[in-house]
Amino acid sequence: MPLVIDAQDLHKHYPLPLPRPRGQGLAAWLFPKPHRLEAVKGLSLRIEAGERVAVIGPNGAGKSTTLKMLTGILEPSSGTALVHGLVPWHDRRALARRIGVVFGQRSQLWSELPVRDSFALWRQLYDIDAAEFSARLGRLVERFALAPVLQQPAGRLSLGQRMRCELVASLLHGPATLFLDEPTIGLDITAKATLRDLIKAHARDEGQTVVLTSHDTRDVELVCERVVVINHGRIVIDQPVEQLRRQYIGRKLVTLQSVQPTLSLALPGLKMRSTEPHRSVFEVDTRQVPVEQVIAEALKQGGIEDVTIEDPPMEEVIHEIYAGTHAAVA
Amino acid sequence: MRSMPVPMLPLLETRPGPLPAQATARAAWAMLRIGAAAALAGPTVLLGRALFFLLVMLVLSSFWGLVGAERVSGLVGELPPHGLMCYVGVTEWITLSVPAVHLRLEDDLRRGGIEAQLLRPVSPLLMRLAEAAGGMGVRLAVLGATGAVALQFTQAPAWSLGTWAALGVLGLLGAMLGLLFHALVGLSSFWLRSNLPAYLMMQKACFLFGGLLAPITLYPAWLAGPALWSPFAAHLYWPASLTLLPQGSVAGVLGPALLAQGIWVVLLGAAVAGLWRAGLRRVLREGT
Repeated sequence: MPLVIDAQDLHKHYPLPLPRPRGQGLAAWLFPKPHRLEAVKGLSLRIEAGERVAVIGPNGAGKSTTLKMLTGILEPSSGTALVHGLVPWHDRRALARRIGVVFGQRSQLWSELPVRDSFALWRQLYDIDAAEFSARLGRLVERFALAPVLQQPAGRLSLGQRMRCELVASLLHGPATLFLDEPTIGLDITAKATLRDLIKAHARDEGQTVVLTSHDTRDVELVCERVVVINHGRIVIDQPVEQLRRQYIGRKLVTLQSVQPTLSLALPGLKMRSTEPHRSVFEVDTRQVPVEQVIAEALKQGGIEDVTIEDPPMEEVIHEIYAGTHAAVA
Repeated sequence: MRSMPVPMLPLLETRPGPLPAQATARAAWAMLRIGAAAALAGPTVLLGRALFFLLVMLVLSSFWGLVGAERVSGLVGELPPHGLMCYVGVTEWITLSVPAVHLRLEDDLRRGGIEAQLLRPVSPLLMRLAEAAGGMGVRLAVLGATGAVALQFTQAPAWSLGTWAALGVLGLLGAMLGLLFHALVGLSSFWLRSNLPAYLMMQKACFLFGGLLAPITLYPAWLAGPALWSPFAAHLYWPASLTLLPQGSVAGVLGPALLAQGIWVVLLGAAVAGLWRAGLRRVLREGT
């Protein structure tokens, strides 16, 4: 597949406003030494057409800065990038016709206008052919179930409805790549699930590239196939989501339902996570003890009614990566 | 980290630039209509504005009645009856019609809304100004109609069609200048935490050099001369000065008024564009 994003050695530092120094003379007070914050340090990233990539990291890691540079609204201090063959910060407006962007915390719709009018304005802003616009809008309205809200002002919609409208607005000009910045923030569980399904299904059907940032690991798991973890301005992990699980987990959660109220297993690398009558959850370090051995040991004790083997939640994995408990592989 | 060799996406053969000029104009027109629709969507706000306009005219006509307009008639030529009331009516018509686009710009820049706008293929500034111009057009029409109706209940002499037409053109240009002033104030938010000080300075300059409440020709000569050719006079004084003229002498004022307004529209437009470019460079370099 061709590359849609090719960023090489991107650096970005910001001037940092600091309090003026005292007691060091007038010159130092008038012209304080500029300090700078290095938000991104030598980031290289390649994304192929049709990939769905999550860019995650703790607050201040540099992921928003990276996204801004790739969409052209921030110039890097050094480094190069091509997005759809364009240098984003030089060809920002041209690139805008090839990408769609949704900010979870900022609305692109006119709150006092009916949603339909905002969409109609989009047609003008992106110079979309009337027939093409009409057909595309029809398909998107059907897919995102927006027919009941089209006549309502955006300001009166629920957050879930509004986010679906935001997504449709960003798709109206048929962008090849969609950038999503915290698209599910503030939504309830049902609305989150709906939005994730819609993003994934639409991207899959249209062969669209998706670059998503989120603090919600379920967004990463359910929408994306590749995860890029940024920390301290550098990429520390760049892998398929499944590989990340396998490589970084090295642990399994084994839940045993038993006839007897409690189970007692003593094996190296095995620890009890939680227990309640007739149900015990063990965490298995598979590098020390294979899961089969744990189950065999449990079966020896007899009375095992059910066994479930699971990976630990993605959230735990990400948390551990942020905390630096795993070695970086960048 | 992935390092699979993958083919590079070639540079686009035809690099699509920003929207073509015609499409940009269509987008701006659509935005202008949105601004007009938004203004019309709040009829109670429009009504309140019209009532406020009437109140201002009532108060100021009483004020000038008390001061004695006949005492200043020599200073402003052959002052027609109720000329000063009409003068203030016109300056207020323009002032109350100009939308507070500086607040919208401040909001865009301070809260980061500019980032989403920069991701569209059309200039965010052009869109904001077009939207504001739409609202301004509605207010000019509504307040203009209010003033025209109110005029029928005074003993002011009826204006000729030529005076009305000239007033329409100069009033529209004056309002455009007001919009550009507000845009300049709004764009100061690229550097200032709050644009309130800049707004207050602009307001006072309009009051002083624009002849908001009294014709500039009443000022001492050393002030009246420079004030007359300032952008503030082009914004307010020149359109309102039509009401101070005896019937049939409008044509003599129209030329210099249009010249002054035209020059200042171009200069202030260039200043707005320059300030926008400078501010945008800063945002693209340092973020919001």
